[in-house]
Amino acid sequence: MAGVVKAPGAFAITPHKVSVCILVNIYASPSQISVPFPFSSVSQHNRLGLYLLALTKSCDDILEPKLDQLINQLREIGGLLDHLLTDHVTSRLSSLSSPDDLFNFFNELRETLGGPDSGVMEDDQVILDPNSNLGMFLRRCILAFNLLTFEGICHLLTNIGIYCKEAISSCSSYELRRVDDSGNDLESLSEYENMDLNLVFKKINEEMEARKRATEQVSFHLHLPKELSTLVEDIEVSADPKSEHNDKGRESSSYASGELLRDVDPNGGVFLRTNWQIQGYLMEQADAIEKHGSSFTLNAFELTLRQLQKLAPELHRVHICLRICFFSGLSFLLFSWLPNIILDGRSYLLEINHSDKFWQNSAGTEGFDFVPPAGCNSFGRYEIALLCLGMMHFHFGHPKKALEVLTEAVRVSQQHSNDTCLAYTLAAICNLLSEIGFSTTSGILGSPFSPMISVGTSLSVQQQLFVLLKGSLKRAESLKLKQLVAANHLAMAKFDLTLWFSAYPCVMFPIGVMKISLKMWQGTYILGSCKHVQRPLLSFGPKTSTKLRTCPIIVCKELRSGYHLISEFCCEGSTMTADGAFSTAWLKNLQKPMGSLVLSQDNGSRNNSNPFLFFTQPSSIPGSVMQLVGSSYLHRATAWEIYGSGPLARVNALAYATCFADASSSSDAALVHVKLIQHLAVFKGYKEAFAALKTAEEKFLCVSKSRILILKLQLLHERALHRGHLKLAQQVCDELGVLASSVTAVDMELKTEASLRHARTLLAAKQFSQAAAVAHSLFCMCYKFNLQVESATVLLLLGEIHMKSGNAVVGLPYALASLSYCQTFNLDLLRASATLTLAELWLSLGSNHAKTALTLLHGAFPMILGHGGLELCARAYITEAKCYLSDPSFSVPKVKTLVEGTGLLLLVRWYSSFSKSPELVLDPLRQAADELQALEHHELMAEAFYLMAIVFDKLGQPEQREEAASSFKNHVMSLDHPHDVEDPIQSDTLLNA
Amino acid sequence: MSSKESCRIELRTAIRQLSDRCLYSASKWAAEQLVGIEQDPAKFTPSNTRFQRGSSSIRRRFRTNEITSTPPTGVAYVSTPVMEEDEAIHGDFYLLAKSYFDCREYRRAAHVLRDQTGKKSVFLRCYALYLAGEKRKEEEMIELEGPLGKSDAVNRELVSLERELATLCKNNTIDPFGLYLYGLVLKEKGNENLARKVLVESVNSYPWNWSAWSELQSLCTTVDILNGLNLSNHWMKEFFLASIYQELRMHNESLSKYENLQGMFTFSNYIQAQIAKARYSLREFEQVEVIFEDLLRNDPYRVEDMDTYSNVLYTKECFSALSYLAHRVIMTDKYRPESCCIIGNYYSLKGQHEKSVVYFRRALKLNKNYLSAWTLMGHEYVEMKNTPAAVDAYRRAVDINPRDYRAWYGLGQAYEMMGMPHYALHYFRKSVFFQPIDSRLWIAMAQCYESEQLHMLEEAIKCYKRAANCNDTEAIALHRLAILHRELDQPEEAAFYYKKDLERMEAEEREGPNIVEALMFLATHYKTQKKFEEAEVYCTRLLDYTGPERETAKSLLRGMRIAQSGFPSMDVEHFHP
Repeated sequence: MAGVVKAPGAFAITPHKVSVCILVNIYASPSQISVPFPFSSVSQHNRLGLYLLALTKSCDDILEPKLDQLINQLREIGGLLDHLLTDHVTSRLSSLSSPDDLFNFFNELRETLGGPDSGVMEDDQVILDPNSNLGMFLRRCILAFNLLTFEGICHLLTNIGIYCKEAISSCSSYELRRVDDSGNDLESLSEYENMDLNLVFKKINEEMEARKRATEQVSFHLHLPKELSTLVEDIEVSADPKSEHNDKGRESSSYASGELLRDVDPNGGVFLRTNWQIQGYLMEQADAIEKHGSSFTLNAFELTLRQLQKLAPELHRVHICLRICFFSGLSFLLFSWLPNIILDGRSYLLEINHSDKFWQNSAGTEGFDFVPPAGCNSFGRYEIALLCLGMMHFHFGHPKKALEVLTEAVRVSQQHSNDTCLAYTLAAICNLLSEIGFSTTSGILGSPFSPMISVGTSLSVQQQLFVLLKGSLKRAESLKLKQLVAANHLAMAKFDLTLWFSAYPCVMFPIGVMKISLKMWQGTYILGSCKHVQRPLLSFGPKTSTKLRTCPIIVCKELRSGYHLISEFCCEGSTMTADGAFSTAWLKNLQKPMGSLVLSQDNGSRNNSNPFLFFTQPSSIPGSVMQLVGSSYLHRATAWEIYGSGPLARVNALAYATCFADASSSSDAALVHVKLIQHLAVFKGYKEAFAALKTAEEKFLCVSKSRILILKLQLLHERALHRGHLKLAQQVCDELGVLASSVTAVDMELKTEASLRHARTLLAAKQFSQAAAVAHSLFCMCYKFNLQVESATVLLLLGEIHMKSGNAVVGLPYALASLSYCQTFNLDLLRASATLTLAELWLSLGSNHAKTALTLLHGAFPMILGHGGLELCARAYITEAKCYLSDPSFSVPKVKTLVEGTGLLLLVRWYSSFSKSPELVLDPLRQAADELQALEHHELMAEAFYLMAIVFDKLGQPEQREEAASSFKNHVMSLDHPHDVEDPIQSDTLLNA
Repeated sequence: MSSKESCRIELRTAIRQLSDRCLYSASKWAAEQLVGIEQDPAKFTPSNTRFQRGSSSIRRRFRTNEITSTPPTGVAYVSTPVMEEDEAIHGDFYLLAKSYFDCREYRRAAHVLRDQTGKKSVFLRCYALYLAGEKRKEEEMIELEGPLGKSDAVNRELVSLERELATLCKNNTIDPFGLYLYGLVLKEKGNENLARKVLVESVNSYPWNWSAWSELQSLCTTVDILNGLNLSNHWMKEFFLASIYQELRMHNESLSKYENLQGMFTFSNYIQAQIAKARYSLREFEQVEVIFEDLLRNDPYRVEDMDTYSNVLYTKECFSALSYLAHRVIMTDKYRPESCCIIGNYYSLKGQHEKSVVYFRRALKLNKNYLSAWTLMGHEYVEMKNTPAAVDAYRRAVDINPRDYRAWYGLGQAYEMMGMPHYALHYFRKSVFFQPIDSRLWIAMAQCYESEQLHMLEEAIKCYKRAANCNDTEAIALHRLAILHRELDQPEEAAFYYKKDLERMEAEEREGPNIVEALMFLATHYKTQKKFEEAEVYCTRLLDYTGPERETAKSLLRGMRIAQSGFPSMDVEHFHP
């Protein structure tokens, strides 16, 4: 065997390929009729052709399918012909008994190929074009065979024997049929045998399933693809394929292959697919990892890697990981489950620097996304390795190291003028910088980038970043790296979102880039905590000369420039992966029963939470492209959020969830879920939000410190505040604070949010001075770190605190300041809520200001009703009612009442004219009560009912008055005794936390 | 019967003695013959007679003369007493040395026996030293490989061994095994006469050492030398003679010897294979194939002599069988020169000459002196039109065995290709000298004479005549003879050969332009000879064919009829439509 060393990456001829060749031979048998013998119709013929095409491209496993798998698939596509086809394949395979038979077989194959001079062939003659896909496949097979040594041919022969034997042992009917073709009675006999077998198989299947259930219970989320999960099992069952038509059959056969893999003996018929099929497989795995995040089980993947390593020792394990890391591209998957890789990484780099076999073999030859640089010397791969390493460092949370390595990569690729790598590296650095912020990194950035940034240190880091991005974009465009171009456009859109001020380099502060979370005044609903949106650095106070570019239109414009990608992605080298994925999907669809999608079990956990099923058609667009396009939708959603349009943001988020859920990474998917749930909470109330949260949790729970967890805490906090569970609210708030300051770094966004919530909790507890103190310090912080939106929010909160504490006059300037912030930054919704607060302040200054308040309120109403959430609307309604009631021109009797327990001083004036149109007041109140019902906001509800009761009282409707009064009482009671309502979610949250 | 029994006893003892002296191939050979003797079916259980395949129908079919009577007449057996064991007290050291030897640690083995004086110990020591020297020689050959893989490495132990063994010989304290080794050393040193003498002495005193016989055989290159040997009678001598007759191309004699031997050693695979080889030399391919099939059935893992089988299959163009055989030997032992040679043959048959050369090269790496591999490689090079390489390969072959007619023939061919017919002629002559019964060689030579440069048609005719006498399967010779005679304006001879050729073609039911040509010639010839009846016969036959000959035949017929009826031929022309 020493003589026959498989050259790495060689296209080795295997039994599976031989049987595919046999099928191709059937498909394109050199006959004169347009539809060759066994086929009765053109469509049948074409179906086989499609199937063969898919076989040569599909990449759902690293291993080639066994003969019985092939036979099963043939059954699916063959229809009436399946016997003929399978018989032909099996008999042809078993007729290969001496090397000469193989020779003759391949000679025969050569005849199916039309020669270069076959111009004179008739129209209806089926001859394979040597340059077609199948033709290429055949040619490669023939070439590979011709290169074989005699020993190699002998091995092939042995392998074919094993390959056939396995299939025969698993479905005995074939053997019987082969022994005697004519025997009808034998056929029935074999059926008897099958019946027995079926019984056995059924039992085994049951057992297997029970086992599977058990394992599923233990590892509570199994999102990994079936092929992998099956590898973990250790039962070998080769089910009779006829009895199990659907996925089960496939499953069990892959069990068998899994088992076979376990004890791979060198002579056993275990064969890897072709190189690019394996690459496609790895890419799919990378996609899967990205999609499922850390729920992707390490063990299963580890197993696959080990097998791969055993079968193809020329692929280093770290290579493969690096590879996957690279394949997953610039969208940065979470690699937390491979911590040891980092350790290997360094030493591996040295190795790669010297040997570097891997990159040369794989990247250069077979359809790598990468444009191989002109002089492909050994260093050409070194920078790629560096790039990968840098990206990995970043994933594992060593931004500093990552930056070092990436800087090195920049240096090396500049040195070797590897522009492609440079463009990628720059993009990676941009991503890194924008993710982590770089107060600490400015020193590192300085020197190596000076050639690129001629202005050097005089520019702020933000600007350097911008320049880097521009450079990367330019390079990508000139090198026609479509994906990178699109990714860079996305990054530019992010920049636009981050309120990039080109006119103000000097006012930048070299501090961390923070993420915004847009919070609505008082309503405290977080419309978006979007990772994609970065806060800019800006000195306090709006300047007249600033140019603001938060307008969603601009963002969309930038995004649109990345869209041509979809139409053009096919020009790129990565088509083969698309083909591969498409073929895999096609083959998988074969296994599904026709028609009834409802019955198919396989789209279990993944698609359940996705209510939109119309995306079941396999798409030919590669996942990475889909992902890019998808994230552009996320950007749009965020842009609209900032602008303040809830519905538009929701539409974009929904579009994303609908169309790109399959391609999205887990973090993006989580984000979109968060957005949608927040939207639900704001517009539909907690009940639905929590229901949605539950499904989301099922999907994403395993991600620790996830957005989902934060969202849960946020929702819990708000509900606790509304219900009056102040202790719980404080507890949740503290938890948030803990989450904010993790080991690695302080998440400013979360920190501000936590202290904001703290202030609001204090406010709800009527500890005004403390609340004011917290809010004040928070404002100081926001000011210091230039968190503009937060500043506006905190200012608004301060105004509210002062209003509630009875110092409306003190509150007024805060509200005004907040308003001016909002105006400057186009934060329309926040501005509307600031206006509302201002109206409330005016109202609380005295009844003579009611008119001013009303005018303000009416000005803000379109915005509030159009885009505001439930609470905001309710508040607006109540305020409006109060305005009417307190308007001196509105009614004569003047009532001054102190609402107990709330501490709210309410002046109600009762004017005679009011009695004429009581609905003017009652309508908004009823609406407010309705909307608040969903939020369980006891405090406001109590107020609304109180007002209603008064109105009814004045109207002389005692029954309705009593009703309203009792509702009021109920709400006040439940506010005072919050623990009456049991809450399943909060208990388990606290346990979890 | 008794002779069979005594044979068995002799062989059993010999096997023990031979393997005790680490003469493994000789002991293997002896053991094969031992089992080859037909067992008494009454005495043995079926499990013991498992190797007895008397039931083979094929064997019966091809057993030409049923020999049941044991010793062939005319051979008086000298009952050689089985040697007494040299029962000295050397035991323990000898055992150690033998173990070393078995582990191929020759020098160590020799060292253990350095002070031992027993004959057995001395032999083993010397033999171990000899082998150590050979091993080193092989290594040096690879290390110091000169151009074209030639090397002048020598066994450095030979001198000291010769000295020691010569003294022992002089003192008459040497046993037959020592003599064998002495002969071996002498042969290596180039002292062939003395070597022959010593080896004859060795086999006379201990005939069961087949290695000694083989060495002796390699020293007997002519019949005269063979006749000059003073060999005492023993049944082992028969084996020797059979083998050497084959080597000396006395195939029929060899065959009869082997068939005689088969009477005693009925089931010997060795004899069967040798018979097959002899028949192969006699070009009786059908029978050879049957014999080898039988042999493989009985001894499926046999690799020895299978290259001959592959040659047969090659000649018969049995693609599948050849590939099957190749597959089989590959599975048995990939690194045997025979295996590689078989694969080479297979690829050659497939027309993949490059691959074929690769395997022949491997065969030669494994055994530098593998004669047929050199020759076959030469053939491959000829096919690839690489004449210099071919010439080199053939030369290596004739260096190893100057009697290899195929190599000579190949050389001739190569030179002919290079346009050097005189050289070619020389080599063809050598070739036919060693294999006068092969028509192909004669034809090749004749073609050489025929060539433009030489144009020695008389000589060519002579060669063709020889070829025609040698069962010319492709029937080239007769045709060429006819043509040559025609060209030399010897119509009688030409007609004779045309007629012969025609008869032959009719017998073999062949079609083709040759028939038409022969008919045409004969018709015109007989017409000019005024033998109108014969001419008419040929003309009418010609009418069965299409083409211009048919018209000519018609006009001939017409002319003949006119001539017969006495009309002037002018009128025929006149009346011709």
